[in-house]
Amino acid sequence: MPHITLAAEKLTTTFGFPITNSLLTTWLVMAILFIFAFLSTHSISLVPSGIQSAAEIIIGGLHEFFESVIGHHVKLVFPLLASLFLFIIIANWVGLLPGVGTVGFFKNEAQKSIQSKEVISNEGSVVEEKKEFVPLLRGATADLNTTLALAVFSVIAMQFYGFHVLGFHYGGRFIDFRSPIYFFVGALEVISDTSKIISFAFRLFGNIFAGEVLLAVMAFLMPFIIPLPFLMLELFVGFVQALVFSMLTAVFVNVALSHGEGEAHA
Amino acid sequence: MEQLGIEPKLLVAQLVNFSIILFVLTKLLYKPILSILEKRKKQIEEGLQLTEKMKAEEIQMEEKKERLLEQARKDSHAIIEEGKKQAIEEEKEIIAHAHRDADEVMEKAKKEIEHLKEQMEKQMKKQTIETAILMAKRLLERSLDSARKREISDKNIKELESFARSN
Repeated sequence: MPHITLAAEKLTTTFGFPITNSLLTTWLVMAILFIFAFLSTHSISLVPSGIQSAAEIIIGGLHEFFESVIGHHVKLVFPLLASLFLFIIIANWVGLLPGVGTVGFFKNEAQKSIQSKEVISNEGSVVEEKKEFVPLLRGATADLNTTLALAVFSVIAMQFYGFHVLGFHYGGRFIDFRSPIYFFVGALEVISDTSKIISFAFRLFGNIFAGEVLLAVMAFLMPFIIPLPFLMLELFVGFVQALVFSMLTAVFVNVALSHGEGEAHA
Repeated sequence: MEQLGIEPKLLVAQLVNFSIILFVLTKLLYKPILSILEKRKKQIEEGLQLTEKMKAEEIQMEEKKERLLEQARKDSHAIIEEGKKQAIEEEKEIIAHAHRDADEVMEKAKKEIEHLKEQMEKQMKKQTIETAILMAKRLLERSLDSARKREISDKNIKELESFARSN
């Protein structure tokens, strides 16, 4: 049975900074995105060719889609939404590549639990058993640090756009002393936005991590053919989760930007 | 938190990573692609407008051409009609003129004939009278004596002369 951990495994530590396998995958995803971006725009022309037309279809399609969700504010918010979508979908799909999660090395467990009270015996066989398999790469979104970072970024960005578009008036969404009811609603809004961070983070992490576990288990039980439908399913889940994350962000930004619209007429 | 694998350092690292992604992709991907899409859209719109304009112009030109052709056809028709009318009038005039000329010529000829006839008649009378005088002279010379002859002939001559004079 493969070893499954909720947390990403540490590969090494440089200058006191831990480098995990999911951080490594994040860098890989960044590299893929940047190379794609560079290749598609380094010789941009009005008559598109090859990779530029592919980028145009993706970016144009996303732009149209998000425009239908948040209207004319799309110009302001589009970079965030598109980056969320592209990063999440590529991270999800990179996690499904063969080799991710399976290629790695063995690390001595003894090193990790050196402070534990149980001293490991010097016998070779025991040491062998304690060796832990550490995959070199791990799906970037199968790590709560990544998804939580995205969630925090997205929720903070919502508040930023709120203040950017509506000005100081936007603060009234959370703190409003005009009446006890408004004050209570403001408190609810604070709780709601905080809970958005958690729901964002755990929805994405849960889906992708569960998918990887499912694939690992299926591959362990029946190595050939049978995991294929599940792999297809996970490809779809990866797309849907990217879409859900970016679209929910779009909807929440829309809600934030429409704050006070009703009051203006009252 | 520890068991879930959440580590503040890694969290910050991922925040920074995503910020970099946002920044780089905005610079490298969204701005150029969206601007070129916008540009292309504008160009296509311009092209469409131009074709629309050209089409309208073409229709106008076609109409103008049609109108000119119609006008030209009408004009030519009118000119031909006019020409025909004039020709008919001229024909009539010519014919009338000819008739008049012919009449004149005939009149002249008739007059001349009349004149000639008169002259000839006169001449004939003269000649006849002369011949008659001659014949009477000769006849009287043979049958009468000289006195009688003279008497009669004088008488006859006188008669004839008076006749001739009266004539």
